[in-house]
This record gives sequence, structure tokens and C-alpha cells, in this order.
Amino acid sequence: MNARILALIVAIVGMLVASGIPASNGRSAPLPSLSIISPTPNEVIGNGTPVAIVFAVMNFNLTEPGNATSSPNSGHVDVFVDDTLIAQTSVNTIVLPLPSGPHTIRLRLVTDNGSALNPDVNASVPVMVTRGPTGGTPGLSIVFPQEGALLGTDWTLSFRVTNFVLVPPGGPAGVPNEGHIVVRLDSASYAVLTDGAPLHLNLKDGPHTVTLQLVDNAGGPLSSNVTVSLHVTVHALLGRVTPFDATPYLALANLLIGLGILAAIYRKLEVQ
Amino acid sequence: MRPHPPPAKQHRKVHRYSSTLALVALMTLLGVSLSSSTAIAAAPSLTIVSPADGAVIANGTPVLVDFRVSNFVFVQPGRVGQVGSPNEGHANVFLDAQYVRLLTTVEPFSLSLTSGAHTVRIQLVTDNGTPLNPDVSASVRVVATHGPGGGIPRIQILSPTPLEATGHGIYVSYRIENFTLVEPRGQPNEPNEGQVQLLVLSHVVMEVTQYEPVLLVSLPEGDIDIAVRLVNNDNTALLNPEASSTVSIHVIASSSVSLPLVSNGGIALLLAFILVVLILRRRKLAARDANARGGNP
Repeated sequence: MNARILALIVAIVGMLVASGIPASNGRSAPLPSLSIISPTPNEVIGNGTPVAIVFAVMNFNLTEPGNATSSPNSGHVDVFVDDTLIAQTSVNTIVLPLPSGPHTIRLRLVTDNGSALNPDVNASVPVMVTRGPTGGTPGLSIVFPQEGALLGTDWTLSFRVTNFVLVPPGGPAGVPNEGHIVVRLDSASYAVLTDGAPLHLNLKDGPHTVTLQLVDNAGGPLSSNVTVSLHVTVHALLGRVTPFDATPYLALANLLIGLGILAAIYRKLEVQ
Repeated sequence: MRPHPPPAKQHRKVHRYSSTLALVALMTLLGVSLSSSTAIAAAPSLTIVSPADGAVIANGTPVLVDFRVSNFVFVQPGRVGQVGSPNEGHANVFLDAQYVRLLTTVEPFSLSLTSGAHTVRIQLVTDNGTPLNPDVSASVRVVATHGPGGGIPRIQILSPTPLEATGHGIYVSYRIENFTLVEPRGQPNEPNEGQVQLLVLSHVVMEVTQYEPVLLVSLPEGDIDIAVRLVNNDNTALLNPEASSTVSIHVIASSSVSLPLVSNGGIALLLAFILVVLILRRRKLAARDANARGGNP
């Protein structure tokens, strides 16, 4: 009889141990944790693509915001970009379109009613977003005209940019592979180009030097200076077909006829 | 006759038989259980339903990836008190080796792609993030383009018309089909996207990414050919098939060019007329004086 009672007690204790009741009462549950798997710190997100943030939680049940009871071990994730709350999620991936520039993405575990855990559980990662490519060396070349060309007064400069995206000036500084083009004509500032459209020039006769330079959003040269120069000579009426230009002869004839008129008038006055 | 055994002995014998029977039944159940558990524990599998391998993702749209999983249960990782199992976990998604998604449901998902060739790979992992053993993953290669998915690229000059007489500067307008113009950034060549080149007398004079008419200036006088052609991102012309259009025009001098000539000639004529009038009048006066002298000697 005593053996049966002892077996019963052992069985009950075993069931309790198996059910975890002593553990829940005896020691605290493991604390929730949060880590950002992707992007990695200071990663460059290129081509203006949205940023995919992948994170992992431990000892925390993700639940749809507003669809569960608040508990210290369940809830959702608040997403902050540059300290501004922009989204809530209960899945392990969130995709955010971000403007160019450096950003800090911070995730924070919160309970279903939106309050932070105690202690606070969050993780952050700095990233750099650019509309340009993530790699490659920026390049700049002139498609037309060719070096040393003889051109008419009106002409169009066509160029090609590689591994670099042209955007209007004024964007955040330090963004890789994006910026604009500064054009200098005979060493003087002439224009700023923010897209790939050809540049139309109207220049006076003579030799000219046109210089194009890639600059960053702040207007500074790139870390490896990218500049291309073009020397051309402008000659008005180039390409015009004038088989016989009688203008100077006519001008001389005008002069002679004018003198003749003066002589005739003088003689006439003399006669009178 | 052999005497019947006592009831207690008979009971022990029955009990031994029933124990043996129970043991056999238990072993049978265990065997069935083991065999059935072997059937349940079939290897997890993963298949990407769409897009198909080599598919062209056109018009700059995101790619929608649809996949199927069998013998594997998707769960959210990191739950409280979670106990992992070999056939339970989640999926990691990689775009060109870049980790882009953690999937906890078997639902289609979309990925934004830049122009070019890409590989999408999905991998099943256990709750703690380790790959299954053996690894269960599936991948698909796609080509993304901002252009349309099909059709033959074409370009046609709409203006000027053939043999049109123009001045030294004209707008060239054209129509493009099955091709999308994109800013060249050194990106790889992709189907049906690129730029437009304008040629004068077979020389490239401009490269543009605009659909609006393009102004050509300083055209040489005479009969010249103007051409437009579609080129890839690396500046090479489309060849198979070639996509270009040519028109012959006649460039003539504008009136402003001949103005000095006309004005000088006009003034010369006017002055000559005045001179002639003055000479005639002088002669007339001289003749009248002579007549007057003849009548009154």
C-alpha cells in the first residue's frame, strides 16, 4: 500500500515537472531577444530598390497588432527609420522604400497594446541608400562631338555616364554613385546637368574648351575625380554652301557708286 | 486420467498466455508505429512553381515567386518554449546570394529586381536557422528588364519626311515600339531596353533617352541622310534584327544667311539708279545750255 502511494506521488511530481509548472514558478522564463539579420551594418542599398529588413526573435510570439492579449512574451515589432515610427509588423520580413542617404533602421519588440517590453528589447542597423549602383567605378565620356572638332555656332554635346546616376543637386551628402554633372566652358561655370539629355550650346567663333565633371550631391568632386574635357573650334556658317559670295564686291560697288553720286552732285552744283 | 490442475495454477497460466499475447500485440503495434512513422517522416521537398527558369520579368515589375512545400511545417521561429523538429521550420530567400526574406508561410511573395540576370533561391531551415540535412532548396534564374517581354523592337522617323527641304536646325520625331528607353548607367544589356542614337551622314551626333522630338542643329547644307537607331545599354546597335530608320532631306540656307547679300545688292542698285538719274539730268541740263547758247549767240 505504501509502495502504491509512493508511486502515485512520484508520478504526480513527474507530471508536474513535465508540465513545467515548477519551472514557471521557480525561475523566470528566458528573456525575449531581437536581432536584425539583413541588411548588415552600413550596407549600401543600391538602384533605389526598397530595403528588405529580415529579423529574428527569440522567446517571443509575434502576433498581429490588436489581435491578441497583451503579454510580456508576445506582441509585434515597431519599425523606426531615423527615430520615426513608420510601420508595425508581425512577420520576420518587412520591405521599406527609403530615399537616398544614410538611415538608421531600428526595430523594437512591443506588446500587443504597443507598450515596450521591460527591459526594452530593440535592435538597429545603419544603412546607406543610393539611387546609383552599389558598385563599379563611375565613368563619364563624350559621345559627340569628337576632340578637336570644327563646329558651327549651334551644336549639341552628347555624353554618357556609367556606374553613376544623375539626380538634382541638394540631396544628402556622401551618397555613393549619385550626383550631377558640372559643365565649365573656357574655365567658367556654364551649366549643371541632372539628366542624360544632350547639352545645346551656342558659342562665338574661336577655340573653346568644355569640361564635364561628375560631382556628388553636395557639389564636391568624387573620391576619384571623374572629369572629361573637349576642345573644339567654332566657326560661324560652317556647313553653309555659298558658291559665290558677292557681298564684298557689292560693298565695293556701293562705295564707288556713292563716290560717283557725290561727284555728279558736285559737278551739278558747279554747273549751276 | 491426469488430474486437473488447481484453479490458482490455471489462473497463472492464463495470465502468462495473456501477457504473451499482450507482448505480441505491443510488438506488432510498435512495428506498425515504426513503419508508419517512417512513412510520415518522408523527406521535405521544395519546388518553385513560378517564375519558370529563364523567364523574362518585363516592364520593370517585381517578380512574383510562387512555391510549394511538402512534408514540412512552416512555423514562426523563436516562439516561447519552442521545441524544434526536423520537419518544422521556415524558409530563407536569397536574391543573388543576398538574404532578402524570411518566410513563415507558404504564400507567394514579390521581389523588386534591377535590370539584369538574377537568381532567386529558397532554402528550408529548421527553427534555429540551420539548413536541413540533406539541404532542401530550390532556385530559379530570371532576367529582369524595363522593356516589354516580347515583340520586335522598332523605330521609325516620323518627321522630317523624305526629301523634305529644311533649314539648318530641325526637330526629329520618331516612334518606338517594343523597346523602353532607359538612362545608360553602365548596366548590362537586357532585352528590349536601351537608348536612341541620332546620326547625321552616318556619324553619331546624339544619344538620347527621350520619346519627345529631338532638335538637330547646324546641319550641313545639301542632300543629307538623317538616321535613328536603337542601341543596347553598352552602346552597341541592335542587330538581330536591326532597329533603325533613315530619311534623306535637303538642307537649304535660311533667309537670314543671304540677308547681307540681298541688302548690299539692293543698296547698290538703288545707288546706281540715283547715279544714272543724276548723270541723265546733268546731260539734259548740258544739252539745254547748249541749245540756249545756239539760239542766242
